[in-house]
Amino acid sequence: MNPPGSLGGLEEKEEEDLSTPILGPSIYSDNPQERIQARRLRIAARLEARRREALGEYLDGKKESEEDQSKSSKQKEESRLKLAKLLLCGTELVTNIQVATDIREIHRRVEEEEIKRQRLEKLENEVKTSQDKFDEITAKWEEGRQKRIPQDLWDVLSTQQVHCAALIEDKNKLISELQQELKTKDDQYVKDLKKQSDDICLLLERMEEQVKNVMKTFRQELSYIEKAFEIERQELLTSNKKKWERALQAHNAKELEYLMNRIKKVEDYEKQLNKQRIWDWEEYNMIKIKLEQDVQILEQQLQQMKATYQLNQEKLEYNFQVLKKRDEESTVIKSQQKRKINRLHDTLNNLRSKYAKQIKQFQEENQSLTSDYKRLVMQFKELQKAMRHFALIDDKQFREIWLMNEEEAKDLISRAFDVDRIIHTHHLGLPWMAPDFWFLRNVGPISQQQQKSATQILEEVLMQTEEEGTEEAASEAESYLDLPKQISAKTTRKILMLLCDESGFLIESKLLSLLLPLEKNECYLLKLDAIFSALGIESEDDLYKLVNFFLRYRVYHSPSSQEQTSLMSALEPGEKRDLEEQKEESLGEGEAEEKEHPSSPKLIHPNDVLKILEAFVMGLKKPRDSRTPVKLKHVRDDSKDSEYWEALTTVIPDTTQNLWDALYTALEKYHLILTQRAKLLIENNSLEQQNTELQMLLQQYLESKINSELQVPPTQVFRVPTK
Amino acid sequence: MQETLVTPTLSVLSRSSITMQDRSSTAGQASSTGPQPSRPSVIPPPSKSKGWKSGANVRRMRRIIAEDPEWSLAIVPLLTELCIQHIVENFQNNPILKQLLPEHQQKVLNHLSPDLPLTVTANLIDDENYWRRCCMQRWPVCHVARHGGSWKRLFFERHLENLIKHFIPSTTDPAVILDLLPFCKNYVRRLRVDQFLPPVQLPLQPWNGELSDSGSEAEMEQPTGDHYQLRDLVAGLSHLEELDLVYGVKDCGMNFEWNLFLFTYQDCHSLAATIKACHTLKTFRLTRSKVDDDKARILIRSLLDHPALEELDLSHNLIGDRGARAAAKLLSHSHLRVLTLANNQVRAPGAQSLAHALAHNTNLISLNLRLNCIEDEGGQALAHALQTNKCLTTLHLGGNELSEPTATLLSQVLTVNTTLTSINLSCNHIGLDGGKQLLEGMSDNKTLLEFDLRLSDVAQESEYLIGQALCANREAARQRALNPSHFMSPITAKGPENPVG
Repeated sequence: MNPPGSLGGLEEKEEEDLSTPILGPSIYSDNPQERIQARRLRIAARLEARRREALGEYLDGKKESEEDQSKSSKQKEESRLKLAKLLLCGTELVTNIQVATDIREIHRRVEEEEIKRQRLEKLENEVKTSQDKFDEITAKWEEGRQKRIPQDLWDVLSTQQVHCAALIEDKNKLISELQQELKTKDDQYVKDLKKQSDDICLLLERMEEQVKNVMKTFRQELSYIEKAFEIERQELLTSNKKKWERALQAHNAKELEYLMNRIKKVEDYEKQLNKQRIWDWEEYNMIKIKLEQDVQILEQQLQQMKATYQLNQEKLEYNFQVLKKRDEESTVIKSQQKRKINRLHDTLNNLRSKYAKQIKQFQEENQSLTSDYKRLVMQFKELQKAMRHFALIDDKQFREIWLMNEEEAKDLISRAFDVDRIIHTHHLGLPWMAPDFWFLRNVGPISQQQQKSATQILEEVLMQTEEEGTEEAASEAESYLDLPKQISAKTTRKILMLLCDESGFLIESKLLSLLLPLEKNECYLLKLDAIFSALGIESEDDLYKLVNFFLRYRVYHSPSSQEQTSLMSALEPGEKRDLEEQKEESLGEGEAEEKEHPSSPKLIHPNDVLKILEAFVMGLKKPRDSRTPVKLKHVRDDSKDSEYWEALTTVIPDTTQNLWDALYTALEKYHLILTQRAKLLIENNSLEQQNTELQMLLQQYLESKINSELQVPPTQVFRVPTK
Repeated sequence: MQETLVTPTLSVLSRSSITMQDRSSTAGQASSTGPQPSRPSVIPPPSKSKGWKSGANVRRMRRIIAEDPEWSLAIVPLLTELCIQHIVENFQNNPILKQLLPEHQQKVLNHLSPDLPLTVTANLIDDENYWRRCCMQRWPVCHVARHGGSWKRLFFERHLENLIKHFIPSTTDPAVILDLLPFCKNYVRRLRVDQFLPPVQLPLQPWNGELSDSGSEAEMEQPTGDHYQLRDLVAGLSHLEELDLVYGVKDCGMNFEWNLFLFTYQDCHSLAATIKACHTLKTFRLTRSKVDDDKARILIRSLLDHPALEELDLSHNLIGDRGARAAAKLLSHSHLRVLTLANNQVRAPGAQSLAHALAHNTNLISLNLRLNCIEDEGGQALAHALQTNKCLTTLHLGGNELSEPTATLLSQVLTVNTTLTSINLSCNHIGLDGGKQLLEGMSDNKTLLEFDLRLSDVAQESEYLIGQALCANREAARQRALNPSHFMSPITAKGPENPVG
């Protein structure tokens, strides 16, 4: 790219130089600057050579450093550097001319300027001197004008002419000088032209040379690179070939070896085969002989066998006949059996179907029965409920009727008693004592004492003992009335607490955790409840049994046992009622006893509690079994009722009745008298009334005017009764 | 076509040669004989081809040719062939091309004659082959690469250039050029005219007058020596990007007259208006045209704030400091990238003003001040400017009477600046010490690729070492271009050190 550009620039330059017709230094002149330029060019050339050398070294250095790279790339790099170098140098070589021309131009310009300056100076001087001369001449003209003498004038004129001529001469000289200069310049210009054309020729030559050079070197480098590539390829090829050949050779050798081995093996095998064959042959012969012998023996045996076979065949034929017969028989039997089996199967099937039907039926029945049963149960329950309800109502009614009757009876009795008393006191004048009978005090129907459940008792016991402190003295007698026990509540309580403490294992752990936050008493209550449910203690009696058992145990084990307590405890609960009075006393005694032995429950060692319990449970089992049905049938006992009512009728004794009868007759007599008397009284009264009426009539009559008019008043006649 | 184009050049040349031959010189004859030998080489081909064609026709006339072994009866051409042939023959009167199938179009184009009038072909045919044939027929040497690789563009550009070159004001009809405008306006991007003929009357006058006093005559005739006015033409060319003009006459030989090379004020004003109106212009060159300060100022004033201008070349003129100052102003008022003021008369003040503009410029890439006389003052100013400039890559200060102080400053610039790639200081008086300082500066620089110090009194050793440094820089730049990811591969960093150490 560079050469054409510079070429264009140079051309322009040359053209420009051509267009400016100014003389310039030429190669052929003896100008020292020209020589300097020549020298400079030479220096530049030398410098380039040196640079090239340096680059060569540089290339060598590079080559060493890039030993590892491939030859072709090395060659490429080398060529590139070389070509770049070449291009640079060539460009420099070509542009050198331009530069040289430039500097020549500069020098020319400098010189030109100098010459121009000199010329101007010269011209100015010339102008000055010529002006002086001209002034002189003009001054002389004035002088000449003053001259009157022709000679003088002529002289002046001639001198003037001479002066003018000199002036003109000077001017002409200057002109010729300048023209001379112009001519030399012209020459110079022509020379410059020539020089520049030479330069251009040189430039063209160099460019051409450069182009040639570059082309040549490019080709060369290309060929080098190609060669390098070729060599590399060749090397690669040869090395690969060598490798290939080596591999092939190795392969061949191996192949040969294998072949030899194979041949050897084949021979071996052939030998072995031959040997084997011979051996086999011999063996085969031997076996053949042996087998033939065998065959003969076997044929003999065969004959024998055939004979036996014949025999056997006949035997078997006979057997066969027999068997056939049997078989026929058996077939008959079999068919019979089969028929039988069929029949049985039929029956079986029938039975099965029947069975299934029955099962179905039974199931249905069962279902209906269960439903019936359920219904009945329901009904029964309802009945029970009704019965209970009716029982209750009956009870109530019974009680009401009882009460009504009793009231009536009591009323009657009280009336009787009243009558009796009135009789006694008024009529007989005897002191009357109110008879006292148990049945009079009785209110309501006579019934067995309701049995309380163990827990209720417990509650009572505990509650009472709690309240004990406050109302100990006051309500001691009454409070224990409900408890028909010979044992004090305190003892019971203590025993129960002991039991509660010792038999915690009977309580469920859940319950224990639930009990924790409760009060002490409630806690005991619930615990005991749980324990009793575990022991099977249900009723009041059981509880007392237990307490008594404890006490007895203690009595057993402690010699100072109390007869009374043991006896009392042995009593049946039914009998206890009759002994109420006794109990009160005994309770008082028990209290006293307890006061005497306050530590008696403590005598029971906590360790013994379990044993006692065990014994108690064992003992409790038997009676309970026998009692349970009795308990279930709770029927009122009405044996006492008639007695009661009988008793009620006999509240007035026979003696008093007799008395009453006698009294009655007497009183009747008295009554008769009294009635007569009353009649008399009434008669009397009526008579009196008649009397009064008559009196009043009399009065009336007396008081009437007629009387006054009468000369003799009746009044005066008789005497008027005054009231 | 061929003849119409060739004859004007010949006629002009011959006429000028005739007029100049009157002054009797041998050189003139030599120059006039120059174009003559080219004529036989240009003209014969058509005649030859014609003869061949006629021969072929004659052959086709005969039905059976016994002597021809390749002949056969099946040669009856296809109808399409015949149609295409007919189209080709009557293309001038009835141009049918776009309606055809592509392969038929190709055939037609291959057989069309390059001599068809441009009125028919210009906007119809885009085929490069056709235009290549046209070009090859007219000009023996064609650099299609210089015309953007387009033969059509090349044809029109050169055709237009030819017309302008041989236009004689007030003699030639301006319509000759303007008529062509509608055909070529889409294809011409560059106009490179290295010759403007003066009006015809001018050479007639010297006949009558004195021959010797050519200078005085030129002065007298200056106002009348206007050249062809480009205004209408340039206004019509909508894609013009480059204008390369030389106001001068080529091959004048011994008919030389000063007024042949005259760039008048009228020319200047009209050119200024022309380039101002042309908004697509990117490159403007006006060289070897005796442009002095005033004309340069007129031109540059018209270029201020030009939207597209990138390159301005006013080399080989007579521009002084005032012109340089105007150029400096242009630098700050345009997007100029390349400024060339080579071989002018710029001195220190002009260089200082340029340096002032350059200090804060961000567009200029290349500055060429070759063969001026800016001396140390200007050189120092430029060096100071380069310390702040971050754009300039190429600087040509060859032949500028520079010496050591400039070199000292430039060495400082070299250590600081990282954009400069090429500096030319040839033909100066740098001196030995200056060379050493430049070498010091170079030792810190990693970007400079070219540094011309020829004939500048620098010691060989320092020049050699600078050359080494440049070599290293070039190698690094090459590595950078090859693999931009690694800025400095270790091999290249080591490579240049080996020979030094």
